[in-house]
Amino acid sequence: MKLWHSYRGAEEEALEKSAALFEQQTGEKVDLLAIPNDVLGDKLTAAIPHGVGPDVFIFNHERLRSFQHLGIVTASDGSIDKSAYFANAVDALSVDGKTYGYPLSLKCLALYFNTRLVPRPPADTTELERLLPGLSRPDENRFGLAYETGNFYFHAPFLFGFGGDLFDAGGRATFDTKGMVRSLEYVKRLQDSRFIPMETSGALVKSLFNDERAAMVVSGPWFAGEIAPSVKYGVAQLPRNSETGRPMSPFLGVEAAFVSPRSAQLPQAQALARFLSVGAASRLRAVTGRQVPANAAAYEDSAVQEDSLISSFRQAAANATPMPNTLEMARVWEPMKLALRAVLQGGVAPAEAGALADRRYRALHRERPPDASPVPYLAVGALALVAGGAYLARKPRALLPFRRRYPDVARAAVYTGPAVAGLLVLVAVPFVVGISLSLFHHEAGSYSFVGLANFADILASRGYRISEPLSFYFTLVVTVAWTLVNVVLHVGLGLFLAILLKEPLLKLRGVFRVLLIVPWAVPNYITALMWKGLFHRQFGAINGFLVLLGLEPVSWFTRFSTSFAANVATNTWLGFPFMMVVALGALQSIPQDLYEAAEVDGASKWVQFRRITLPLLRPALLPAVILGSVWTFNMFNIIYLVSGGEPGGSTDILVSEAYRWAFQRNEQYGFAAAYSVLIFFVLLGWSTVTKRVTRATDELMG
Amino acid sequence: MPPAREPPVSEVVLTGIQKSFGANPIVKGVDLRVAQGEFLVLVGPSGCGKTTLLRLIAGLETIDAGELTIGGRRVNDLPPRERDVAMVFQSYALYPHMSVRENLAFGLALRKMPKAEIDARVAEAASLLELSGLLERKPKALSGGQRQRVAMGRAIVRRPKLFLFDEPLSNLDTALRVQMRGELARLHRKLATTMIYVTHDQVEAMTLATRVAVFNAGVLQQVGAPLALYDRPGNRFVAGFLGSPAMNFLDVRREGASLAGKGFALAVPDGLPPNEGPELLVGLRPQDLVVGSAGPLQGQVEAVERLGFDGYAYLSSPAGPVAARFDKGTNVAVGDSVRVSPVRDAVHAFTADGSRALRHPFESVAREAAS
Ligand SMILES: Nc1ncnc2c1ncn2[C@@H]1O[C@H](COP(=O)(O)OP(=O)(O)O)[C@@H](O)[C@H]1O
Ligand SMILES: [Mg+2]
Repeated sequence: MKLWHSYRGAEEEALEKSAALFEQQTGEKVDLLAIPNDVLGDKLTAAIPHGVGPDVFIFNHERLRSFQHLGIVTASDGSIDKSAYFANAVDALSVDGKTYGYPLSLKCLALYFNTRLVPRPPADTTELERLLPGLSRPDENRFGLAYETGNFYFHAPFLFGFGGDLFDAGGRATFDTKGMVRSLEYVKRLQDSRFIPMETSGALVKSLFNDERAAMVVSGPWFAGEIAPSVKYGVAQLPRNSETGRPMSPFLGVEAAFVSPRSAQLPQAQALARFLSVGAASRLRAVTGRQVPANAAAYEDSAVQEDSLISSFRQAAANATPMPNTLEMARVWEPMKLALRAVLQGGVAPAEAGALADRRYRALHRERPPDASPVPYLAVGALALVAGGAYLARKPRALLPFRRRYPDVARAAVYTGPAVAGLLVLVAVPFVVGISLSLFHHEAGSYSFVGLANFADILASRGYRISEPLSFYFTLVVTVAWTLVNVVLHVGLGLFLAILLKEPLLKLRGVFRVLLIVPWAVPNYITALMWKGLFHRQFGAINGFLVLLGLEPVSWFTRFSTSFAANVATNTWLGFPFMMVVALGALQSIPQDLYEAAEVDGASKWVQFRRITLPLLRPALLPAVILGSVWTFNMFNIIYLVSGGEPGGSTDILVSEAYRWAFQRNEQYGFAAAYSVLIFFVLLGWSTVTKRVTRATDELMG
Repeated sequence: MPPAREPPVSEVVLTGIQKSFGANPIVKGVDLRVAQGEFLVLVGPSGCGKTTLLRLIAGLETIDAGELTIGGRRVNDLPPRERDVAMVFQSYALYPHMSVRENLAFGLALRKMPKAEIDARVAEAASLLELSGLLERKPKALSGGQRQRVAMGRAIVRRPKLFLFDEPLSNLDTALRVQMRGELARLHRKLATTMIYVTHDQVEAMTLATRVAVFNAGVLQQVGAPLALYDRPGNRFVAGFLGSPAMNFLDVRREGASLAGKGFALAVPDGLPPNEGPELLVGLRPQDLVVGSAGPLQGQVEAVERLGFDGYAYLSSPAGPVAARFDKGTNVAVGDSVRVSPVRDAVHAFTADGSRALRHPFESVAREAAS
């Protein structure tokens, strides 16, 4: 039997031991295959329908609904003993009243506390609030509590603690609720009191806790492995909300062993999956793998009881809310992230955030456009092919037969073959696939032909006003501004430095030249991440410098202008060396005696620059500017990594917006492809314009 | 042609001008006075520092020591644009992105001259230099001679105090060079502006100059009217540099009434200071040595140059290589052993090291004629 999973290290070892036990007891052979976490899901959905997948696989329950929809999981109702597990773990595995798979382990958030600073963890929020002021020293960057504030997964316990609900009775996401407002007000107050840090990333949480500058941290079981050995800590469940009396209930994630319906030995496969979830296997999971078993009986083992991490998470999990395995859940993340960040960054009041999220939710979840008939499109395509053929045929026949005209055609084919093949695979195929894809709508793994509906929705800005960041036109304007500002700065700075570097009197010219090219040599995503850090509200060097000068620190990513400026600064840093190198080369090719002639003619340095240098640089700089503008237009890395579109997606450019439609907004591949096609047309138009300009310049130079 | 204008005051005076590049002295103390309206040609072999001297005058290089005045005003520390000079570069240095008209107008527009006057001046220069049909072309679309004329036009339109030319004709073919030489001479007559013209070509120097300044290794050798320099060269360098083929130099020793060299002897010429010597250097221009069957010098013909009316034979003689003239009628062939004789009173005499002239030819003839 084949078993696919994505465990590594101790978790994998525990699984191997359990599988060996199963083999001993039943004589059935089990083949384990470890597949990296990020590709396992796609492998499963691709392999199982073709009968080449595993009999049993281990996966997180969040995609259960989609697995069920695709028919790659079997119900376990006949063979599962639900009472053997925590009830909410079994709940997490149910779809439409049926249960699928066997729960193995649990993941949820709990409170890590530094035992030196917090001898006893707070049981409720009243105690927490009493502790926080004494633990927080904002001037020393010490905080009572730290967690990834901008991530809804971490905010959920606050929401549920205030009695907020994510879904209405009909299963639709709701954001504009009382619980939402109160939870947002609460964390905003924590942040304003400087009890928690701003703009917190996972890496920041880790470093704060390891430096003992965060007394408490909200995180999951995985965090235990990241804590420095010197830090003594304990784990407790999240405190109870004193105002409502409810527990701050985190999301519960359940890892389960699922059985493929295509398995040739269904009963044995069910037996294996069940075996892995209970008894000796679940004890191994806890003791060897240090995972939190879903099997209640596992906790009777003394070794498991003594492991305080596991028992703490067990308690935390008991109060956890199973993460809904519905498609609707997948649509909640982006609107919630938007609302959370808007509130924490101060752009939006907590009372209005719900409405903001709601608007974004409705904008992102386009109704599926009506199916269109492909016939007219195929007809147009066929017509185009016929017209093309006719055009070719219309050309007068060559005087010489083909073989005589091109006697070396065979050898030429060999030489050009690799390049042609490369172009076909890397350019032509994606191009055709992309254009075709733009005519489809993708939802829950299936495609439907919708014709030009995607384009119509984009161009008509359906669902949002033109002035909203989600609108194509808004993004287009931002993209054009982004390109323009960048190119102007790249050329300006590059030219300025090139002129300085050309100055023969400058000492250490060679050294400067190398240093100035370095930004270009560093991979741009590394640079982007470094700049992102520089712009951090509390820990960034730029604000540190502002404070040193006696200025107010700037919250860079909360306003469009500063966020845009941060992106531009990063990209300028990356972009000027190229222009500098081009300009330096071009400057050196201008004969010195032209300057001397101009000097004698009476031109000042400035006139010489304007009337000689600039016009003579034009032919060399223009192609570089055109190239640079296209690169910048599509400079995904900087936007995605530095501002990430903040605030509220307003600094996103067309490519990053296309990416979000494809990978962060319900997998709307067709819509994203339509975006890409529009980007293509914009750049096509731009290249025709530039071609004309270049030609004019060539004429200018005679 | 429009009437000649009153030229601006533009006497140029160089006093002890020095220039070094790093540790290399290139211009080693030049004293020179260029009079108002003069066409001074600075001539010397390549690399002797002519361009450097010109650039010092233009202000494109800084003067290390000495003083430079233009029109009575010390200009050592003025930038080029305040010296009111125009320079024509050896490479022409036309602005490649501007039409001929824009090239010509560039310097005028910078001086905020009214448009109408610019147009008038450009038109005038264009007609003077036969550029009228080319005004809208880019330099790329011009021939070498046309580019050269544009470069001159760019200087002319400005009506500067002083023109500086740096080998302006060296990139042209021979026929064009002869034609442009004529035009330059005409231009100078017309403009009557002071001009300093650098060349390595002695023919240009001889034909164009009011005065020639012979320059070598950073030192001014001699300044004077072209023919004066030709007739009365002050030292061996000047004597050898002007005239083509170059003057023959023969080492001699004064022995009584004759000057004895290797394998020949000449009578001591009139006017040779008696206290100089005995080792001396004799110079004889090829034009003053005639090939024939008799004469004090004997040699083997190594090469023959027939120029039509006459020609030159290049001989190897015991005293060294000698060039001599022969008439059309004379039969001279390579390998012949011939004798040459100097015409009467043709001897230049120098100190043995060539640093000073002791006697010039034909002076006694001239004296006789005068008396
Ligand atoms: N900018 C400079 N730096 C160093 N040496 C130079 C420079 N310009 C000229 N020289 C040197 O000075 C000497 C004279 O040059 P130049 O004035 O151009 O000679 P000419 O014009 O008589 O041929 C040459 O040996 C040349 O190499
Ligand atoms: Mg020169």
